Amino acid sequence: MSEILLDVKGLTHYFRLSKTAVIKAVDDVSFQIHKGEIFGLVGESGSGKSTVARCVMNVHKPASGSIYYQGIDTCDPAQFRKNRKLLQTSRQFIFQDSTSSLNQRMRVADIIAEPMAIHHVKPQRGSLREEAAFQLHYVGLDSSYLDKYPSELSGGMRQRVTIARALSMEPELLVADEPIASLDVSIQAQIINLFAHCNREHGCSILFIAHDLAVVKYLCHRVGVMFQGKLVEVATTKELFENPLHPYTKSLLAAIPIPNPRLERARVWHPFDPGLFDRNGKMVEVSQGHFVLKGETV
Amino acid sequence: MSELLEVKNLSVSFRTPEGELQAVRDVSFCLHAGEVLAIVGESGSGKSVLCKSIMKLLNKDAYVKGGTIKVNGADITGYTERQMQRIRGKIFSMVFQDPMTSLNPTIPIGKQIAEAVRVHNPKMRADDLQRRVIELMELVGIDQAEQRSKLCPYHFSGGMRQRSVMAIALASNPQILFADEPTTALDVTIQAQILDLLREVQEKLGTATILVSHDLGVVARVADRVAVMYAGKIVEIGTAEEIFYDPRHPYTWGLMRSLPAYAQQGQQLYTIPGMPPVLIDPPAGDAFACRNEYALAIDYEQMPPMFQISDTHFAATWLMDGRAPKIIPPIGGMCHV
Amino acid sequence: MIRKNPYIYYGRKILAFALSVLILSVVVFYIARLAPGDPLVSYYGERVERMSTQQRQWAEEKLGLNAPIYVQYIRWLQNAVKGDFGISFKYKMDVLEVIGERLGNTLILGGIAFVLIFAGALGLGILCAWKEDGWLDRCICKIGTITSCIPEFWLSLVLILIFAVNLRLLPSGGAYAIGHKNDIGDRVVHLILPMTVAVINHLWYYAFMIRNKLLDEVRADYVLLAKSKGLDKKRIIFHHCLRNIVPSYLSLMAISVPHILGGTYIIETVFSYPGIGTLSYESARYQDYNLLMVLCIFTGAVVILFHMIAQIINERIDPRMREQEIVDTTEVTEIG
Repeated sequence: MSEILLDVKGLTHYFRLSKTAVIKAVDDVSFQIHKGEIFGLVGESGSGKSTVARCVMNVHKPASGSIYYQGIDTCDPAQFRKNRKLLQTSRQFIFQDSTSSLNQRMRVADIIAEPMAIHHVKPQRGSLREEAAFQLHYVGLDSSYLDKYPSELSGGMRQRVTIARALSMEPELLVADEPIASLDVSIQAQIINLFAHCNREHGCSILFIAHDLAVVKYLCHRVGVMFQGKLVEVATTKELFENPLHPYTKSLLAAIPIPNPRLERARVWHPFDPGLFDRNGKMVEVSQGHFVLKGETV
Repeated sequence: MSELLEVKNLSVSFRTPEGELQAVRDVSFCLHAGEVLAIVGESGSGKSVLCKSIMKLLNKDAYVKGGTIKVNGADITGYTERQMQRIRGKIFSMVFQDPMTSLNPTIPIGKQIAEAVRVHNPKMRADDLQRRVIELMELVGIDQAEQRSKLCPYHFSGGMRQRSVMAIALASNPQILFADEPTTALDVTIQAQILDLLREVQEKLGTATILVSHDLGVVARVADRVAVMYAGKIVEIGTAEEIFYDPRHPYTWGLMRSLPAYAQQGQQLYTIPGMPPVLIDPPAGDAFACRNEYALAIDYEQMPPMFQISDTHFAATWLMDGRAPKIIPPIGGMCHV
Repeated sequence: MIRKNPYIYYGRKILAFALSVLILSVVVFYIARLAPGDPLVSYYGERVERMSTQQRQWAEEKLGLNAPIYVQYIRWLQNAVKGDFGISFKYKMDVLEVIGERLGNTLILGGIAFVLIFAGALGLGILCAWKEDGWLDRCICKIGTITSCIPEFWLSLVLILIFAVNLRLLPSGGAYAIGHKNDIGDRVVHLILPMTVAVINHLWYYAFMIRNKLLDEVRADYVLLAKSKGLDKKRIIFHHCLRNIVPSYLSLMAISVPHILGGTYIIETVFSYPGIGTLSYESARYQDYNLLMVLCIFTGAVVILFHMIAQIINERIDPRMREQEIVDTTEVTEIG
């Protein structure tokens, strides 16, 4: 495979609830994202997938472990300072809730051009406004939207604007935290296509976080499954969906309802018993590129 | 099969500062005893408003513009709030989307269930009531019901709360259960559990269920019949098999084709062009016409009637008319069995 | 946050309280002495003007006013700890005795007003929420907006003008007619006007709060579920919604004690009602240092105390606030 863009090693992050109580949101998670790859991270709510995304974006400082982006240790303050501009421009974040991640008092044109203005990037297309229009066009909206406020747009359009804002820096890594969860089916399809397009035409790598496995199956090249802060299985999408090994992955995959009544009704589903989960297990490579968390019980 | 609920030409509108918003437009359907009818549609299609208007749970801005609602043959369209209170819970009850907010946070679960039992059985003795509460909690799969009944909702996970809401909804043995996106706020694994529970309870008690959902997978798992709503109207209705394997309305095609589950990786996902219409001053003809690649000229001018395809299958599209050109549907015809 | 040990929790609160009162006393002590005016006037009256420099020095020394302010403060603090707050310059009596006489009057006025305000506000709030957007609700809201804009002193003067001067129905001020100190009927008559002003001025504000809080609850999702199980409006409002606003209502009551107290002070002054308010006003005016100190600290302590009570109520009553404890005991032992 090609060059490694992001290398997460033994990432651990705690949330402190009080002086004595601590929740391990992310526990010893390691994975890599190659250049031009879409890596999916799936799991239930509370499994720590969003925390991983935030650590990757330097929002949280991990308790231990390291994150290398293009060989730069982003958790090291000295290295971070030295490469600040690179790190802040070539990695971009897309949030789930497009309503609150856009400033309601700014026009679309200003929102999209803001990262460029902050980083003093010289607009290739003359002015910042033209640059914004270009990005907007790229995500499938015409320039009549430039002077609108986010509240005048629908959910799908707002999510396009946040993607346009992220793309304005021509990022190499997009971190998308449940970007389609709050959208309708037909709008979801548009946004998924947009991500696929970014990846294909732009060569942009994407860390795609979702709980909808059907979307992940369609969009991602490789998938990691998280459970209670641990990564339990990593494999290529094809391998994971055809040959899931960890019992949690099996149960998760079986839980996706298939839009096919006859198959769906015939299926019997068994929930995964968290009591069987051994969190002290080790990641084992069972076949080429397929890693599973192996413990004593499972 | 007897008809438990019969809705005829129901129209519901909202008063808004911009004018009248027609959320539900001329909807007719019926629900048979002991079946699960799923209503599918995108947000704003009026599916949730439809359910709430049948139970008269909408706020003051909403009003029923026309049509009739018959339950067990009795016309409840003109019922007063007091009359509605007598049949809510007993004839029909509802499970809501977000279990985090649909329970009163300060009242123990057991009490909230007991309250629902007592409304329609005011003379029930205290120990009978307690027994009934435990029985209901066990019915919806909450173990250690005795201790758990004393806990407040914040002790419960999302799945447990949704089970509690179901226990409340089932408290007075309703004949009809409305489930408004009951699993949208839950994780996939919890969703599977709740759906199985819904089906199990439905089979055990024979409660007719109306399931509102935007997720076709969920619908496939539990529904006997499916109604597809678009822009406040039912555009297609039929058995689950008919809708999933032989859809006739272009909007249903679009919905199915945009599902990633059907697509191959690397292949462009189908998208329905355009946006759903605003329901203040909706278009005269078929509301879907301007997004419909198969639209005929008449679609823009005249609302299509419901064309009958089989005993159970109806679709509102001019494509079904005898004079329309024959089109090979992009999906359907049992192609993905 | 989470209380593991109630002793530590309340110990901390008491410590914080004592510290706040101490800081308050320093500030008041300094500011009172930096303010212009002659404190000797309150003790000697007009004689001060005829005093020689020597006499003045002697008088100042006798009253302990000649030392630097910080020395005076330390001396005051030492005595205060022993329970001796000095004498009032004006009344030539022990400060506590002077206050003791008046405190009862203020408690009667403030206490009854407080009860009336909160009972009334609860009733009006529920009524408005029940009849949301009806004509009654609108009327009450309009009347409320108008009356709460009227300043207390102005309203007092207008009422005095109407009922005492023109109609001669009610007395214009004081707590009782001369010689009727123990006559309850007379006292009630004297209370009517000040009480009316106090209630009218605060009632609406709290009634609005209850109305809006209640309406927030009525729009919550759980009300839909309660409705769908067949409950009637009465049970939903009284059993479900009201229950959920009680914690915030109680803490609101606690916080409002100082607010209402401040209002009574002004009203007392206007009606020359012999309570703490009039006394505070006089003591500040005549630079009656010892009296002023005790009154300020007393008022301040009441304010701080009730804020703390409000905080404790908030933490204790609302079960959602205790959610943290559950997280502590369950999830963490499993996960961490």
